[in-house]
Amino acid sequence: MYVAVATLVELCRRSPSAPVIILMLCALCLVASPARAQEEDPGRFEVRSASVELDEGIYYLNAWLEYRLSSGAREALESGVPLTIEIEVEFLRSRRFWLDAAEASLLQAYELQYHALSERYLVLNSNVGEQNSFANLFSALNFLGRVNALPLIDEALLEAGESYQIRLRTSLSTEDFPGPLRLLTFWRRDWSLRSEWYEWPLGD
Amino acid sequence: MAIGRLKRVAYIAALIFGTLLWLTVLLLFSQVAQNSEEFARLQPWILLINIVGIAVLLLLIIGNFFHLIRDYRRHVPGARLKARMMIMLVVLTVSPLLIVYTFAVQFINRGIDSWFDVDVAQGLDNALELSQTAIDLQMIEHLRELEAMAQQLAASGRADIVGELGDLRRSTEALELTIYGANNQILATSSMNPEAAVPGSARDDLIFQLRQGDAQDCCVTLEPPQSDRGYEIFAAVNMISSVPAAEVRVLQGRFGVDPRISELANLVQDSVGQYSELSYLRNALKYSFTLTLSLVLLITMLAAVYGAFFSARRLVVPIQQLMAGTRAVARGDFETVLPLPARDEIGFLVNSFNDMTQRLSRAREDAHQSQQDVESERKKLEIILARLSTGVVSLEPDLRIRTANQAAGAILGVDLDTHLGESLVDLAASRPLLSQFLTVARSHLDRSDHEWREQIVLRGDVGRRVLMCACTALSGDDEDLGGYVIVFDDITALLQAQRDAAWGEVARRLAHEIKNPLTPIQLSAERLRRRYLHDDLEDTELLDRSTHTIIQQVEAMKDMVNAFSEYARAPDIDISRFDLNELIREVAELYLHREPPLALTLDLDPGLPAVEADPGRIRQLLHNLIRNALEAMEHQRDERLAIATRYRDGRQADVVEITVADNGPGFAAEIVDQIFDPYVTSKRKGTGLGLAIVKKLVEEHGGQISAQNAERGGAVISILLPISGEAGDSPAHTAGRPDKRRQHA
Repeated sequence: MYVAVATLVELCRRSPSAPVIILMLCALCLVASPARAQEEDPGRFEVRSASVELDEGIYYLNAWLEYRLSSGAREALESGVPLTIEIEVEFLRSRRFWLDAAEASLLQAYELQYHALSERYLVLNSNVGEQNSFANLFSALNFLGRVNALPLIDEALLEAGESYQIRLRTSLSTEDFPGPLRLLTFWRRDWSLRSEWYEWPLGD
Repeated sequence: MAIGRLKRVAYIAALIFGTLLWLTVLLLFSQVAQNSEEFARLQPWILLINIVGIAVLLLLIIGNFFHLIRDYRRHVPGARLKARMMIMLVVLTVSPLLIVYTFAVQFINRGIDSWFDVDVAQGLDNALELSQTAIDLQMIEHLRELEAMAQQLAASGRADIVGELGDLRRSTEALELTIYGANNQILATSSMNPEAAVPGSARDDLIFQLRQGDAQDCCVTLEPPQSDRGYEIFAAVNMISSVPAAEVRVLQGRFGVDPRISELANLVQDSVGQYSELSYLRNALKYSFTLTLSLVLLITMLAAVYGAFFSARRLVVPIQQLMAGTRAVARGDFETVLPLPARDEIGFLVNSFNDMTQRLSRAREDAHQSQQDVESERKKLEIILARLSTGVVSLEPDLRIRTANQAAGAILGVDLDTHLGESLVDLAASRPLLSQFLTVARSHLDRSDHEWREQIVLRGDVGRRVLMCACTALSGDDEDLGGYVIVFDDITALLQAQRDAAWGEVARRLAHEIKNPLTPIQLSAERLRRRYLHDDLEDTELLDRSTHTIIQQVEAMKDMVNAFSEYARAPDIDISRFDLNELIREVAELYLHREPPLALTLDLDPGLPAVEADPGRIRQLLHNLIRNALEAMEHQRDERLAIATRYRDGRQADVVEITVADNGPGFAAEIVDQIFDPYVTSKRKGTGLGLAIVKKLVEEHGGQISAQNAERGGAVISILLPISGEAGDSPAHTAGRPDKRRQHA
């Protein structure tokens, strides 16, 4: 920081035009990062644990996910903006001397919505079309956080004898946001809610 | 040229492409408010292109800016003009942009805010509340209904609880009735369509709430509509058992909301949802608009600034080139040809400039050519002047020497070339020849007589020198006197030659005219003697004496005339190579044995080379000189004569110097200049032809002779003979050899 300031001062001393340029750059930065937010809850998505079980030739996912929405996301939700929460699961085949190949992937999307008339939170499983309503956000997020026996893949689709890695992550999708909000999420960090990849080998 | 054109085409193409891309991007960007799918896909690219565009423009501008500042500080011609134009253009373009931007941003913000200021929100809230109230009423109604059912169930002691439940359901509007036991175990259920979703678990929270609540023993909740169903009301009540300590049972009922109310409530919900979403997005929308506008402004502004740089450069470059061209012309470089920028006024100016430099260049070439011509003419003239035997001196009006040729220096005895620019008056102070020359010149010039012609006689150590002198005034600037040119010829030798020729002619005629009557006179006198001398006449003795005198005098006269005619005669010269020292010794030998003996000293240079000359004439020359000296010392007791030879390495030819010195009375001062003319003598006796003949002999050999008085008395005659026998130095040639003349002195 000190070096940057010193450089700027030196630049100003050498050329009287430098302050103008610096001012212009600062203006650009200001435009690029509007209202860089008062202290807010940044939110947190995390995979606590996950496992896969084989039942009658089909792999089922059991996972415990923790969802905490950021203040912005909660505000948007309560204003009636539906949030899409996605769970991505990938089967990776380990390859030597090369990047792992993604053999199969599954995207499970849930839509979380606030219903003003009934004052309830709705969770819609986009893949199945099943809807559940909850009296509060905590219950809804808790419901989302418990993944029980989510069918993933037929065993026959995986090659026997190969070693596979499974990885899982969950994120708040901004793609379905209305235009203006999407532009905003482009700049703001508290809108990019995404857990790290949770990875474990298949068969353990 | 082709590359330049290609570059220009590429530049224009890039400009058009960049502008089109940018406009497309801006159009897409304006879709931001319309929530299109297309935008969602392209958004990152759009932003990226915009940012790259901004970065490129910024870099270009910063580069140009620093370039301009550097030029400005270095006082590069045109930099100030460029800077001024830049400032003007930037102010003219950027300030309206900024004003429009400010107004637009304010307008958008206030406009968007004003849309939401209307009391729509309140109305919608009220509608929502109304709907909720309407549904609440139904909820309470259904709850009461359910409570009544619970009491009825509790009161009846029927074992067929399922049947009773079915009866109850059929008697009311309930869609489903369920009794839960402890641990949420379903004890009995009755549904309108039994295949429908398994009841219970969905409403866990309701049961949970009921069991938790201490005060209340009933609760109700509204289930939002699902795909095929409208709003539904879930209600649950505790069944108070008549038996104490019996398990707590819960009766849960599912009721449908009135379809009309459900439909309307749904509509209200949708409206409220949409409005609250819009309201929430208001800030984001403002932000989006502002961002779009800002980006548009920024790019437009940067493009305008860059455009300003570009157009300023386009305008200033021809002017800079013109300035550089003008400076080059001022330095004298007329080869500058400026590129034609366009067919506008500046192009016209540049064209005129090129035309001007071409004309200047041509004019300078002409001037150079004529200067060279003049220079070569001058050089030719200089060469001619240098070769000229005539002395030419040009003087400033104050008598400083401007130019002088070699001959002038030789004649005046001063090397004038080394004294150019010095005053003739100063130079003359220590140089007698020059001083005499100057006296005559000034006598004319002081009288403002600038054009004159006079014969000047200069007297120096060597002898008389006669100059024919002519002066002309030079005209200078503004009719002033520009100086003088004095042209002079050494005509001493010419005069001498004329005199010699005249004497030769006189001698020849005289000899002829005198000799003719002499023989008859002599013969007559001899006849008189023969006839009358034997007669014893009383006058015999007289006759004898008289005739003898006549004969003797006639003989003497004959000798004289012979000598005289010998002087005029010019027989062929017979040149051979011989040892001069040997010849001198032979001649000297003849004079050693006479009475009284002569003190003759020979100082002969042993390194003397053989001389090419006519030995007979040289012998005569030596005889004449020795005899002349002896005659001069006739009545002297102590007669001394010295003959010396010296080898001299002359400038134009090697010469031998022969010096004959006596200790006689020397030459009379008044005749020393004409001592070599015939009949000029200081002796009582003698023909006066001796030295004249000597001089003639010397000149026949191309040599020179001079006579002077020695410091300790006596005469010294010195002769210079060229070693090679080429005879006949012209007088002009002699004038060109000042060193030899000086050796005489």
